[in-house]
Amino acid sequence: MSERPGPAIALPPTVHASFLVAATDLGMWSAARLFCRELSAEGGAPLVEALRDELGRDFPVLDGVAAAFGGGELQAPRAELLADALAGIDRLVVTGLEADALDALAAWLSLDVELAVLTGASALEPDWRAALTNYARPITRLPLGELQRWAGRRSALLTFLYGRDHAHAYVDSAWMRVHAPDVRVQFRALVGWNLLSQPLELYPRWLSQTALEDFSHVVGP
Amino acid sequence: MTSAQVLLSAILLGGLLLQAIVPGRRLVIVSSAAALACLVATLRGVSDTAKILAEVPWDVLVILVALGVVSEVLAQARAFDWLAVKVSDLSRGDARRLYLVLAVTMYVTSGLVNNLTALLLVLPMVLVLLRLMAPDRRYVRWTLGLLLVACNLGGAATPIGDFPAILMLSGGRLTFGRYLQFALPATAIAIVVLLGVVRFAVRPAEAVPRDPVTLRLTRAIVTALHRGLVVERSLAVPALGSLGLMLAAWSLLPARLGVSPALVCWLGGGLTLLMARRRGETIARAATQGEALLFLLSLFVMVGAVRSAGLFESVARALLAIPASPQVQLTLFLVLAGLLTGVFSAGPGMAALLDVADVLAKRLPPHAVYVGLALAVCAGSSLFLTAATSGPLAQALTEAADLRDAQGKKLRFGFREFVPVGLVSFAVIEGVALVYAWIFAR
Repeated sequence: MSERPGPAIALPPTVHASFLVAATDLGMWSAARLFCRELSAEGGAPLVEALRDELGRDFPVLDGVAAAFGGGELQAPRAELLADALAGIDRLVVTGLEADALDALAAWLSLDVELAVLTGASALEPDWRAALTNYARPITRLPLGELQRWAGRRSALLTFLYGRDHAHAYVDSAWMRVHAPDVRVQFRALVGWNLLSQPLELYPRWLSQTALEDFSHVVGP
Repeated sequence: MTSAQVLLSAILLGGLLLQAIVPGRRLVIVSSAAALACLVATLRGVSDTAKILAEVPWDVLVILVALGVVSEVLAQARAFDWLAVKVSDLSRGDARRLYLVLAVTMYVTSGLVNNLTALLLVLPMVLVLLRLMAPDRRYVRWTLGLLLVACNLGGAATPIGDFPAILMLSGGRLTFGRYLQFALPATAIAIVVLLGVVRFAVRPAEAVPRDPVTLRLTRAIVTALHRGLVVERSLAVPALGSLGLMLAAWSLLPARLGVSPALVCWLGGGLTLLMARRRGETIARAATQGEALLFLLSLFVMVGAVRSAGLFESVARALLAIPASPQVQLTLFLVLAGLLTGVFSAGPGMAALLDVADVLAKRLPPHAVYVGLALAVCAGSSLFLTAATSGPLAQALTEAADLRDAQGKKLRFGFREFVPVGLVSFAVIEGVALVYAWIFAR
């Protein structure tokens, strides 16, 4: 059997640091999509495969995205999938950052619904001030300690899932700091928005495992 | 020297040295020293608190607050974020371009708005770029160092750029146009010479990786980070309009009308807040800068107490008694001003030295003395990282950004790292100050 051909262009030594910067301020999934797009344009599929080999173990979400990208899948996130889960709410708190998904959500969500992002809870904490300058609608930065102020029977809590099986999903560690038995009754809906079409194949570094039954709604693949 | 002069100057110097050594207790130290100076001046019979407070140049504080309002409105309108993106676009993610583009941008910006606000909002993007480039220690040192020095030079370029220049404008020592006419070309020459020295002699970007994949990823990431950034025109346009009106009023209003620079600034700041509508109140509260005001007030009180004891007059007389031409006296004064500012920082340096400059300005063309002093103070504030307020701020932000080189080794930007940049910058700017003074003091 012949060896897989290597890329004509080599990955730079800065690629690990660059991905960490992008993952911090865009989210793991959004950064992975950006890297796959850009490296594919620069060096084609072999360069994306090289990226997966180089960084996949350190960043399993990147591995998952690159695997799907190799299969020709890189679809835009569909916020309309959340319609049932978020019906009737007037406040939504998002934990974790995924720029591509938050862009879609902010554009789709009615302006009557107040939107907040939970700060100070993620393993990779972004520069929220800079991140939120990208949105035309107001988005509140909500410190972890003030979450209860946004609780209520017309409030919902949403986080992103990075692959799931029949019983479990992987989430940003911010979710583990938020989720507790009392939180379930304080919010109308606890929503998991799955972004990966396949379960993670590698050790879920940076992520936490949680039970699907934590959520009132799970949407996405 | 009289005992009052000795005691009051000891309080001033002691307070300033102590606040430089323990910056975390800065406000407590200078405000306590100011109170002590008032007490000593009263007990020694050289002045009293009412007189010292009456001599505080309140118009300087008004100008600082009003310009702070304009800067805060521009910050809330995301104008500085836009500026950071432009810096990134123009540099194209290339280390060889970044420090040049950044220095020129901050030089221009600092001449018009509060450079601390601009730095606070532009620096995070610069740090992101540096993290993406994985530079070496040398590149970080020169890029961030030049950024700070460019802020200092921009601040000295216009009468509203920074505190020392504002002090001259408010005191009526030089008109807006007169200061601009002489200081702008001098600082422009200084920044060009400095960038030339760094570009062709220091060459800090030589060892920074520059492959097409890194450049492509850097550009793509920066674009993604600001994919939806829109400047709030409803805030930015009126603020820039107000600033334009203020500049026109400072330049064109005849002095006989009696409308002082501070009044123009006060009216302009008020107009800016009014045009910000409902957000005006929040912005006014954010822009008040209580810390800076208390520091400057304490400083003016200490300097006022020392002045009342006649110390500055004595120093000026001693300077004039040196058996040398006025040009040589001015040269000595400017060298001393640069070094003192390096130790005590720009605010205290300027506040104390201006009284001596006033005496020299009676024998020499005033602009030669005052603009020369502004340049010397700028050189001094570029000598050490601690000499300008923006230095410790940049240090803290850089530390938090956790910069690393290509091998993963942590990169620092502190007092020691800044020393080579400070020495080169001091030599260039002080050199321009001395040449300027020699040309115009003849």
